[in-house]
Amino acid sequence: MQGILHEELSVSDPSSDFMKDYQTLARQSWEAFTRQLQPPAATNPFAPPAFAGSGNDTLERTLSGLKGYFDWMQGVAAGSSGTPAPAADWQQQLRQLFAGATPSFTQAFAGIDTAGAEGFAQQWQSWMQAAQRSGLGDVPATQGPMPAFGLNREQQMQQQAMSVAVFESLQASARYQALIQRANAQGMERLQDKLAEHAEPGRQVDSLKALYDLWVDSAEEAYAEIALSDEFCEAYGEMVNTQMRVRQLQQQQTEQICQQLGVPTRKEVSSLGERLQALRREFRSGRTTSSDSHADEVMALRHELAALKRQMAAGPAATPAAKSSAPAKPSRSTSAARKAATKAVRKTSVPKNTAAAKPSRAPVRKSAAGKVATKVVRKTRASKTKPGPIATPRPSLRKRK
Amino acid sequence: MYTPLRIDPNKAVGDIAAFQRKLATGMGYLRTMREPEYANTPRELVYSEDKLKVWHFKGHGTPTSKTPLLIVYALVNTVWMTDLQADRSMVRNLLEQGEDVYLIDWGYPDGADRWLTLDDYINGYLDRCVDAVRQRHDLEAINLLGICQGGAFSLCYTALQPDKVRNLITMVTPVDFHTKDNMLSQWCRHMDVDLFVDTMGNIPAGLMNYVYLTLKPIRLNQQKYIGMVEILDNPVELENFLRMERWIFDSPDQAGEAFRQFIKDFYQGNKLLKGTLQIGDRPVDLGMVTQPVLNIFAEQDHLVPPDASRALGKRVGTTDYTELAFRGGHIGIYVSGRAQREVPPAIHQWLRARS
Repeated sequence: MQGILHEELSVSDPSSDFMKDYQTLARQSWEAFTRQLQPPAATNPFAPPAFAGSGNDTLERTLSGLKGYFDWMQGVAAGSSGTPAPAADWQQQLRQLFAGATPSFTQAFAGIDTAGAEGFAQQWQSWMQAAQRSGLGDVPATQGPMPAFGLNREQQMQQQAMSVAVFESLQASARYQALIQRANAQGMERLQDKLAEHAEPGRQVDSLKALYDLWVDSAEEAYAEIALSDEFCEAYGEMVNTQMRVRQLQQQQTEQICQQLGVPTRKEVSSLGERLQALRREFRSGRTTSSDSHADEVMALRHELAALKRQMAAGPAATPAAKSSAPAKPSRSTSAARKAATKAVRKTSVPKNTAAAKPSRAPVRKSAAGKVATKVVRKTRASKTKPGPIATPRPSLRKRK
Repeated sequence: MYTPLRIDPNKAVGDIAAFQRKLATGMGYLRTMREPEYANTPRELVYSEDKLKVWHFKGHGTPTSKTPLLIVYALVNTVWMTDLQADRSMVRNLLEQGEDVYLIDWGYPDGADRWLTLDDYINGYLDRCVDAVRQRHDLEAINLLGICQGGAFSLCYTALQPDKVRNLITMVTPVDFHTKDNMLSQWCRHMDVDLFVDTMGNIPAGLMNYVYLTLKPIRLNQQKYIGMVEILDNPVELENFLRMERWIFDSPDQAGEAFRQFIKDFYQGNKLLKGTLQIGDRPVDLGMVTQPVLNIFAEQDHLVPPDASRALGKRVGTTDYTELAFRGGHIGIYVSGRAQREVPPAIHQWLRARS
């Protein structure tokens, strides 16, 4: 990192003692900072070496944005002559201040180096190298698919499809990057406009941080305007779609190689997962239906038991009398119980291998634990409620009329 | 006329030196700091299924509210935004108000969850979580608080299961996904989502975070960390900053099928608003939401623009609809100092008036 610093440190007036002092200070400060990034010396000489992905490398990557800011501050400080520029020259001065640092800021738009946003060009290069090593042959031209024939016809066609897909993807990526650059340029124009509003005593920008913040506001505004445009949205969609097409073709080729080597593939695992999830849905649906049915039976039997208890409680005389008399009309509950019991018997008598034995896939509203959800009609409740006011002073509450 | 730039080189060098000193000194603190913990308000596990957990939070006193409140968070990011740190915890504040708070923690999906659909999430998981809470309290209906995507889920659920929801609160919840200022929506308009999910499977959290960062690339990738340098020598503020970083980036992957449906039906098709949405084989009609609804949104929300939330008012069937506009952003509505003072009390009072 120190090396980079030295290379990028461009000072407009090297003969100035002031700037020499500044350079020394900057170097020492940054070195002090980077020393903090170094992992501490191992106290145990037998300790294993540090993991390559940890320590200063991780922190350096994390703080790369700070480095950009730091470089920019240096550039601005070096470009500041100390003498206030004439009013007509300040725009020129501004361009000079940002000229050296602009690439750093451009990176802020697109320089996030994560696995999810891996630079596509690098990814493509590494893939092609791997493809060549694994025997997929040379990369065909990108002009479009050519006729192929013979034993390896399919592979040739796939390779050509891949080549076309990569070409299209790189084109889409370039279109996207062009829009990002346009946002960057428009951000600078907006900055000039904003600065023009500060050309009065008392409103002048007198610190690096204030200038930086103003630039961020300008750049974000310009970016947001472009990012919401139809042109950008189309370019964004095209970039994503073309990248996915390349990935998909990569996966297909990988699958083929894995199949030849007898290695289980992601497609197979995914397919198993899909079937498993479908089975889980069916199982849960069936279990819920079954528990609903059992709950109905239990409820019906409870009603029947309650009716019998009532008959018993009515006294011994009531029972013979009931026997001798004409059969009474069954109560609703007993009737329901019998119906349910009959239904249950019918259900259990159905052979398991028939279609009727399959659990229903219809959505079920009951709880997994088997508890019957009581249906409550409460649709008019809302209109009956008398909401009280909310005594919150600050936020604005708007009640629909 | 004066020049608008009046940067004194001596002062500039002084600023740089101060910046570097802060950075160098602060890095010493940074190296010694541990991963900041969330608020970890005492809680009890009351239901679990696959990777999902339902937590019941314990306050200092007995809840005064008779109807429990179940928080339904989004699938993106973790649920701990609601209980981030001790003095900035929406959960803790709701408990102090007297609410009985439950929370669904969706967990971190992996390859086994690739085929979970919105039907599985809403008619399956969410319904069973609601049933678990209802059963614990022997209640026919409970209160729901849906947040962001979880708010959209809660709306769907309430429309599908109106008898199980007594009052519904939505926070920063998108309903109209086609407002002109919705950058995420604009970006995915031309995406081939089928190709995307077929290729990616589950959608990696890193990719999701990358997209969020590119909504405001310079502010979120650089300016924020320059601000961090200012607080490097302040252990308390630094810890708060790092806790937020942890929350932002320690986020779950998205189950592929659910993501596919959410983008196609909500973002691209705007079906929730149009009334053409189906979850499983059941249509979702917001007109079925006749419960009292409190719709809270953030006026400076760059992820869910206010108009995207306000659209709910014209679609729900209830006659008891209230809006609460919070002056802040998508995250500030949970963690800012003003949010602590305003949002949980407003929720509690609104619920109490409808208990």
